[in-house]
Amino acid sequence: MSKRKLIPVLNRLASFWAKNKTTPLLVSVLLILFGCNSPNEKLPILGNREAVTKIVDGKSVTDSVYQSIPDFKFVSQYGDTVTAKTLNNKIYVADFFFTSCPTICPKMKVQLKRVYEKFKGNPNVMLLSHTIDPAHDSVPVLKEFAQNLGVTGRQWLFVTGDREKIYDIGQISYMVTAQADSTAPGGVVHSGAFILVDKAKHIRGIYDGTTEEGVDKLMNDMDRLLAEYTL
Amino acid sequence: MMRLTGLLVALTGFISVISCQSAEEIKRQKYITEGILVYKTNCANCHQTKGEGVAALYPPIAGSDYLANKNSVICLIRYGQQGPIVVNGKPYNRPMPAQPQLSDLEIAELVTYIYNEWGNETKLTGVKEVTPILQQCKK
Repeated sequence: MSKRKLIPVLNRLASFWAKNKTTPLLVSVLLILFGCNSPNEKLPILGNREAVTKIVDGKSVTDSVYQSIPDFKFVSQYGDTVTAKTLNNKIYVADFFFTSCPTICPKMKVQLKRVYEKFKGNPNVMLLSHTIDPAHDSVPVLKEFAQNLGVTGRQWLFVTGDREKIYDIGQISYMVTAQADSTAPGGVVHSGAFILVDKAKHIRGIYDGTTEEGVDKLMNDMDRLLAEYTL
Repeated sequence: MMRLTGLLVALTGFISVISCQSAEEIKRQKYITEGILVYKTNCANCHQTKGEGVAALYPPIAGSDYLANKNSVICLIRYGQQGPIVVNGKPYNRPMPAQPQLSDLEIAELVTYIYNEWGNETKLTGVKEVTPILQQCKK
């Protein structure tokens, strides 16, 4: 574009802004309203969704069905059975770790402890840590670990169980990586993710559990999610 | 003339002492800088960035009475630590993995950092000091 053509264009633009002083104001108001950090906006539902057509009252209705956490059966640090039912009517944070892990797990546990301290005693919140090394992490090992971490009560459960079932639920349902790898320190590679699950067992967020920022965001989103149930 | 020479000698001596000290100081700072990196990569996961440890799981390094025995600190960095230990009167019993990937120099840098940061030391623990200790405790 030549200079001669450019100048009138700029003039027109300038006069537009001058005449429409409210426009930029309106744009910024809209940006604030629809910005991703708006506290009023609901958290997304993550994972696969399917359109399911059902016949309701003689009419066919199409609805989307979201991925959800299926039932499971593991054992807690107290030796009792933990199923999906144990977490009914709770929002919860799930993660995968092992007690002898020298790499990211200690960081994750320090961060999850912050979540535990913040929501301690809240009857709507639970934490569920799955061991990915059930051969070593037996019930007494998990119990000692939880105690040493300063965790008491049943709000934060450390679960063990069938290795394949733990890996499957991690990879398929919680959408995190967890697999044996003899070259990795501790023999297992796994993600440092914290997964936020709502009362309908839908995944509402996945966070970096190894950083303070990631977990700050998680705690903020937990407040938002809890607010959905108080409306 | 003699007086001037004397002054010059004294001055040269003074300068050489100063620069010698600062060469040592530069080396110490270099060790500490490297030591911070070694610490962050290999230790901070459990012992935390500020050396405070984690509850009753991982003992603190900052303000730890365990630092009194430097030789055993040097050895457990390379060869790990098994079985129960007591730090500041509290029991801990979780194995610390060996760190065979760390060279003698890296251990010297790490120990210098730890003792300068948390052990009230302001001197360097050189690699020449560390190597014989490591050889002695080699299992």
